[in-house]
Amino acid sequence: MLEISELRKRFAGGPDAPEGKVALDGISFVVRPGEMFGFVGANGAGKTTTMRIVMGVLQPDAGSVSWQSRALEYADRRRFGYMPEERGLYQKMRVADQVEYFGRLHGMDVAAARAATGDLLERLGLTERRGDAVEALSLGNQQRVQLAVALVHDPEVLVLDEPFSGLDPIAVDALATVLQERCRGGVPVIFSSHQLELVERLCDSVGIVSAGRMVASGTVGDLRAVEGRTLRVVVRDPAPGWADGLPGTVTVTGDRHVLLATDGDDQEILRRAMKAGQVEHFGTEQPTLTEIFKEAVA
Amino acid sequence: MNGGMSSVMLVARREIATHIRTKAFLLGLLITAVLVGGVAFAPKVFDRPDSYKIGTVHSQQLPLKAAAPEAEFEWRAFPDEAAAKKAVLDGDVDAALIDNTKVLTDGEIESELGVLLQSTSRELKLGAAGVQVQPLQMVSVGADTRYQAARTGIAVVLVVVLFMLIIGQVMMVAMGVVEEKGSRIVEILLTSVRPWQLLAGKIIGLGALGLINLVTILVVGVSASVVSGVAVDFPPGLPGIVAGVLVWFVLGYAFFATLAAALSSLVSRQEEVGNVMSPLTMLMMVTYFGAFYVTSDPTGPLARVVSLVPPFSSMVMPVRMAAADVPFWEVGLSMVLMVLAVLGVLSFGAKVYERAVLRTGARVKLRDVLRVK
Ligand SMILES: Nc1ncnc2c1ncn2[C@@H]1O[C@H](COP(=O)(O)OP(=O)(O)OP(=O)(O)O)[C@@H](O)[C@H]1O
Ligand SMILES: [Mg+2]
Repeated sequence: MLEISELRKRFAGGPDAPEGKVALDGISFVVRPGEMFGFVGANGAGKTTTMRIVMGVLQPDAGSVSWQSRALEYADRRRFGYMPEERGLYQKMRVADQVEYFGRLHGMDVAAARAATGDLLERLGLTERRGDAVEALSLGNQQRVQLAVALVHDPEVLVLDEPFSGLDPIAVDALATVLQERCRGGVPVIFSSHQLELVERLCDSVGIVSAGRMVASGTVGDLRAVEGRTLRVVVRDPAPGWADGLPGTVTVTGDRHVLLATDGDDQEILRRAMKAGQVEHFGTEQPTLTEIFKEAVA
Repeated sequence: MNGGMSSVMLVARREIATHIRTKAFLLGLLITAVLVGGVAFAPKVFDRPDSYKIGTVHSQQLPLKAAAPEAEFEWRAFPDEAAAKKAVLDGDVDAALIDNTKVLTDGEIESELGVLLQSTSRELKLGAAGVQVQPLQMVSVGADTRYQAARTGIAVVLVVVLFMLIIGQVMMVAMGVVEEKGSRIVEILLTSVRPWQLLAGKIIGLGALGLINLVTILVVGVSASVVSGVAVDFPPGLPGIVAGVLVWFVLGYAFFATLAAALSSLVSRQEEVGNVMSPLTMLMMVTYFGAFYVTSDPTGPLARVVSLVPPFSSMVMPVRMAAADVPFWEVGLSMVLMVLAVLGVLSFGAKVYERAVLRTGARVKLRDVLRVK
């Protein structure tokens, strides 16, 4: 289990902001083995800072990161896979050489590194480009190489900062499949993203961060439960004032009245609606992650 | 699992593999090899042995060859003094010997030829008169100066080669450090290798490339000298000089490259490298000029002092060793001091590099890095 607890980080400010900038304000969450954790938040919320601290690139002012109930150390991080927000590759090095090199640095022997490289390039659709210099690749393809570098040594934990940005739909699916496989093998995966539908589709749990604090976290189902379900009723041509006294709000479009309610007795609402006019729709709606997100960071 | 050293070697191997394939490296190697080969042949082309044309009128040829075995003599007989005089004035002969009694020259006679003619003729006449003259026995009680010209030549070539190689490899270290820092590759690298391993691997890899270059130059230089015949003038201690050059290159390179890595880890963009490196470049230039000066005065007090002081000693001492004989204790002391300096610089450089290399963005101040956390 990867446990992030009470991380705090303040960046020194420039001359115009001498008090500095608080990037993390006591953020905490856990990622369990085999869990895909989606890390979402507005720009500047602190996702990258958190991940950089997890990977030891930055030192926190306070708080800790632990893995398997021990303080996370360099030796553990060597078995992690990391994709930084600012991509970095040797531009002149060939794709396969590069992926293999990082595998070797993580302690793989030549044969294992070569096999893993071949396999990953195949899965990420890069086999034809394996002999090309990285600089000759399109941005999206460079991104795939970056992913291969993060994945080549079969990491115990994956920390990926916006791994899906810039990928075409085919590559998104390919990467999603690879990540899900790793996850099923017991690897905790944490990735940040602004593509909330993707997060909703892939992740077991989600953390919403705002201004350096975790404002909501849990499974997508949990978050919905907190947010509450919404009852949606559409009535055609009802008598005026039919909803007086009922909870929720009514919006009128033409002769259709739409009632949205988050509480109240649904049976009572249904009876009133049927009496008032023709009921076209009656049901509860799940809020999307986007709605939950907007609500949480508001 | 992967030990610390094998990570260093992996990093070093990558440096060698990426650079050795480049056109720049191969071309550089080719050009230096051609230049050094050219230098080895140059004395044969420009510095021919002395040769004299001597005319005779009613005179016998003197046994000059016995007195000056390295010089070439060509004799021409003329019927009378007038013909000989014309030949001298036309420059057809350097001098003309008339009746075994006088020598015609055009202006002043070249001193070596004059002395030769004078002494050989005197000896001949004394011999004819039955006087045996014991030739003077030459005993040198000072330094062996027979090879001085060759030694100075070797020293000058060495200065240039050492300086070019060291500054070239050191700049590559600096640019490599900034490439990794600026592109954030370090962020991934440092999750799998320690900063010192990355630093050591880079310095060792690029240093190995420099050594390949240096060995090529030495091999080409020595073989070309043997082929061209210049090598006969080489001092007997040449293998020692060559070995010394290799050791001094390694020490000097380690010193400057470590400082270069530390300084360049303060910046994130290639354009800033020149600026942040300028104090170090200056230090290398001073060392270079110092070494150059020493080629002309290898035994003076300045040479003796500077060849002990690191990092100047790394270039001055090998040059001094090539140009003159250096007491063994001085070489030993100089080497010990340089090794200590390298160790000091390594611990300082590794600290700066480790603290600065992840701090991307604006240039990091050395003061901030050194401040104890
Ligand atoms: N090196 C730095 N120096 C100063 N401030 C920084 C630095 N890095 C991050 N910050 C500040 O810390 C805060 C959090 O930044 P962070 O990069 O973690 O956000 P994020 O959630 O990853 O945003 P995004 O979605 O845009 O990637 C921001 O206000 C940012 O300006
Ligand atoms: Mg970010």
